[in-house]
Amino acid sequence: MEQPDIRVRSVTKRYRGAASEALRGVDIDVLPGEFFGLLGPNGAGKTTLLSIITGVLGPTTGSVEVKGVTMRANKGRALSMMGFVPQEIALYGTLTARENLDYFGRLLGLDRSTLRERGSELLERTGLSARASEPVRQWSGGMQRRLNLITALLHAPAVLVLDEPTVGIDVQSRAAIWELLEEINRTGTTVLYSSHHLEEAERLCSRVTIIDHGRVAGEIADMRSRSGQERLEETFLRITGRALRDDPA
Amino acid sequence: MIQRIAAHIRKELLLLLRDRAGLALLFGMPVALVCIMAVVQDAPFRDFTENRVKVVLIDHDQGVVGRGVVHGLQKAGPFILTDATSSGLTDDDLRDLVRRGEQQVGVIIPCHVSEMLAERSSAQVTTYFDGSRVPATDTANVVLILDPAVKQAFRSLVRGAIQRILAGLTAQQLLGDLAERMTELTGDSVRVPRLEGSFIGVEQRMAARDVAGERVALDSTQHNVPAWTIFAMFFSVVLLAGNMVKERDSGCMTRLLTMPGTTTDRILGRLSAYLTVCLLQAVLLLIVGRYVLPLLGLAPLQLAGSGTIALLLIASLAIGLAATSFGVLIGSVTRTQQQSAVLGSTAVVILSAIGGIWVPLYIMPDAMQALGHLSPLNWSMEAFNAVLLRAGGWVDLFPYLLPLFAFAAVCILLSVGAELRVARR
Repeated sequence: MEQPDIRVRSVTKRYRGAASEALRGVDIDVLPGEFFGLLGPNGAGKTTLLSIITGVLGPTTGSVEVKGVTMRANKGRALSMMGFVPQEIALYGTLTARENLDYFGRLLGLDRSTLRERGSELLERTGLSARASEPVRQWSGGMQRRLNLITALLHAPAVLVLDEPTVGIDVQSRAAIWELLEEINRTGTTVLYSSHHLEEAERLCSRVTIIDHGRVAGEIADMRSRSGQERLEETFLRITGRALRDDPA
Repeated sequence: MIQRIAAHIRKELLLLLRDRAGLALLFGMPVALVCIMAVVQDAPFRDFTENRVKVVLIDHDQGVVGRGVVHGLQKAGPFILTDATSSGLTDDDLRDLVRRGEQQVGVIIPCHVSEMLAERSSAQVTTYFDGSRVPATDTANVVLILDPAVKQAFRSLVRGAIQRILAGLTAQQLLGDLAERMTELTGDSVRVPRLEGSFIGVEQRMAARDVAGERVALDSTQHNVPAWTIFAMFFSVVLLAGNMVKERDSGCMTRLLTMPGTTTDRILGRLSAYLTVCLLQAVLLLIVGRYVLPLLGLAPLQLAGSGTIALLLIASLAIGLAATSFGVLIGSVTRTQQQSAVLGSTAVVILSAIGGIWVPLYIMPDAMQALGHLSPLNWSMEAFNAVLLRAGGWVDLFPYLLPLFAFAAVCILLSVGAELRVARR
């Protein structure tokens, strides 16, 4: 069997002082070259799972491997093969786009010339190069989202993890982000994508896992041959139910 | 690791350079504080002889005591004397003048006080020569009326000056009576010696450095420049901690946590950047003390020799490290920018107040002095004083550097612990 790029095994997570577990024995394999969707209602455990996969949080039990490297044992190496796009605009607003890319690129271990070359290429591909010397806070939300994405691509990671990368942006910017994601997936980058937008998942993902109440609740193995079947939204509601998911009190 | 730390340093410095309000807080505020506080505190720091106390006097006596007090106060340096005897001012008017703060001290010399002095002196001499006890006359008091807003030290100064004058007048009267009695007893005319000054003087020496022929002593400049330099360094915690919280809120911290590198890298980068800022603050404020304060009519900051500069830099480094470590700790344990701003600024203001930044520690009550010795700002102040005032070397500086470095180490350990605790939640 093909070695998964991301292997999540029996992961549980109980936050300190919490009454119940946020994750209860999650198993997920993301195969090389996949565009893998992670869906779930509010409070299902998506963000906790992504935080554990990206090393922000440690699991209570279980393990995470990135291309065969165990996160707990060799976090630095595992992280160096991964790019992460957080839901927030994780950029320094008073720094220019170039300065943001330089900073994060240096942390990723890139040398100055590689960084300049790779940064220019990504800025060009996302239509941001003309304003690369302006402070990012002067940009529109869509431009900031695009920069937020390419910051995670500087080191050409083998695995890209995205948490709601298109929240609150205009249609044009969203389309540009989709095109870029499809392009980098075509060139062999494995993508793990978490979103509320089922339409996005339907368009982009090759496989989708739905998690609910901290568990894997269902999986749609082949999204791209679903013509004629029920829409993803109907499948989602069938698996997760119609009860409202307000934030826990 | 070096590349990552260098990247953190560059980023922190760029963030500071783009933050105009932050730059004003780091550099503008301390320059203004040094200038304003040094000018404001100049008078209280000066020797009392350089200050003038306004004194109004009514002489009901019109005798040797009245004239002697007027002459003595006029001769003594620190008083601006108004003799209101012939102006028609009553005792009540004089009290009102002082109460309203128009004069700081009122002196009323009662009627017949010279006669009383003569009687008592004569009685003393008679008792001495004849052995017979002459009944003492009533005593008379010169009345001092004091403005309640005048400092205790000034009150003591006036009281001491008048007591000195009265003691001189008494001695002179006794000498006169003794000479008279000697003349009576011997038949020879004995001249009354005139008392001029003290037989034994007091020489004052500062146990301090000698700079260009002068001993350096605490004045407004020598206190305020190091004091507000330390305050400025510690006040940078507000900015440092605020930027840390902002980084967490913006999601940048989440991104950083998903990149290779450690908590230690980030903390070292941050410490190095703000330490650079602290050293720049120290250099700027020392330059202000040396070259700008004299333009405001104050004494220049005394810095003698290259050895002093090196010691000051080492002291600044230790103080900067303690300050930035404290800032990192505040940033690690607070959750919102409001929390970090309030906790950081309040902590620094309290630690500076008890640490002798606003006023020297030695004039505080014992309990506050004991508390003040626990403040890192007090160790910082003592480190600067050891170099600037006490002509100290490495050995004198070391006792203050040690707790500063230990404080920094504890803050860093607690910060790393707090960040790891969040990661392990």
